[in-house]
Amino acid sequence: MRQVAVTGLGAITALGGDVAAFAAALADGRCGVGPLTRFAYTGRCALAAEVPEPAPRGSACDALPRATERRLSRPDRFALVAVEQAVGQAGLDVPALRTAALFVGATVGGMAESEEAYRRRQTGEDRRWRMSRLVGTPLSTTAAAIAQAFAVHGPRATFSTACSSSALAVAEAATAVRSGRADVALAVGTDALCRVTYAGFDALQALDPRGCRPFDRDRGGLSLGEGAAALVLEDAAGARARGARILARVLGHASSSDAHHVTAPDPEGRGALAALRGALASAALSPDAVDYVNAHGTGTRQNDEMEVRVMRTVFGARLPHLPVSSTKAQLGHCLGAAGAIEAVATVLALDGAFLPPTATLRVPDPAWSDLDLVPVAGRRQTSEVAVTSSYGFGGHNVTLVLGRGG
Amino acid sequence: MDRNALFAEVKQLLVTGLRLDRPAGEIPDDSPIFGDGLGLDSIDALELVVLVEDRFRVSIPDEEVGKRAFASVRSLVDFIETERG
Repeated sequence: MRQVAVTGLGAITALGGDVAAFAAALADGRCGVGPLTRFAYTGRCALAAEVPEPAPRGSACDALPRATERRLSRPDRFALVAVEQAVGQAGLDVPALRTAALFVGATVGGMAESEEAYRRRQTGEDRRWRMSRLVGTPLSTTAAAIAQAFAVHGPRATFSTACSSSALAVAEAATAVRSGRADVALAVGTDALCRVTYAGFDALQALDPRGCRPFDRDRGGLSLGEGAAALVLEDAAGARARGARILARVLGHASSSDAHHVTAPDPEGRGALAALRGALASAALSPDAVDYVNAHGTGTRQNDEMEVRVMRTVFGARLPHLPVSSTKAQLGHCLGAAGAIEAVATVLALDGAFLPPTATLRVPDPAWSDLDLVPVAGRRQTSEVAVTSSYGFGGHNVTLVLGRGG
Repeated sequence: MDRNALFAEVKQLLVTGLRLDRPAGEIPDDSPIFGDGLGLDSIDALELVVLVEDRFRVSIPDEEVGKRAFASVRSLVDFIETERG
């Protein structure tokens, strides 16, 4: 059976426009959550983890027709930047990209641009519907733009499983490589802030007006974020043969379904438990092998409670000695992009021998005072195996098991 | 309307309406609208029909009229002048 190596990373988030900035900010515990500026909004909350505009223009855009580039949505642009970084780091050549598989996870596509088209139509600024403002609406446009810009001709799919969308993209990319369906697979997550998701989460009272504080006693919800991340996965033997540096390995993964509620997680965490146990089983590892958990850790009361319950069940008496952190404290919840962004964070932790913190954690929930939630600042620690979990609305659960490279 | 002003208005409509990344003043009067000239594609063609019809109160009922009107910036100006009488 093939081993799956991670050889390239890309990220554009509120913590910076590339992976180096991302890694530095993660280690420093810098928080990317600030005032919401993308659109006018008056509600309970006014915070978000935004990618500053103008976002960098990837030189991959040069390969696209000018008319196509003009109409790219923000998430499409983010994704092109992230893929360019990942492909560059991996050092993939044109033939390798030509046969690569491409899996994208996203939830809103060009929704923000569609909202703008709707606003212009309603206010009379546009007397008729303008097609150019709507062509970026479908979630599938990101994969199409990436494929065209990088001449990728292999298997391709776009996943939308709410907040686990791009964790699933990473899982499917790993499966494609492991099974031999592709020698190289690109896994991408991308999403941009838009009014529909912002107002929706706010109406559910799921946003913390003071900024998200995962696992904190006073946590009051999540902060929304945006951005994109990309990972190059490939057959480890092939990577070694061409002299590529192996940053990490994808050891296993599993997904499961809650079948419980449209937004709330199963309070017993049965779906999340199945995903975590299934992922460890697929990696043929016992829970004792895990050195670090990159939690879903949204900062809502329901998620964090459910998640700790699941970790207690799986890791038992060892949990107090197992570092667990939520990078959403710094990145916000990037929805469809979150899984891939957090997979990149976890690879960086493994490769850089550090633990990202739960940066905004001040007073841990008293029920969890025995846990090592890596508050405030990251710290040096070598980990061999890490897990990262994503739990999407509607009960879409995905857990990835990653191992140190080398 | 003065013909020079009409040229300027058509060019400005192309730039702002289609969000082109170039100054309107740099577009030559005889520039082809499609093909390599301005980097427009078939979706822009649909857009341009809507923009021109709304702005200049003219009708572009079919592809044949569209092809003639959109051959170049100059032919579009000619078309608008003729249609408006």
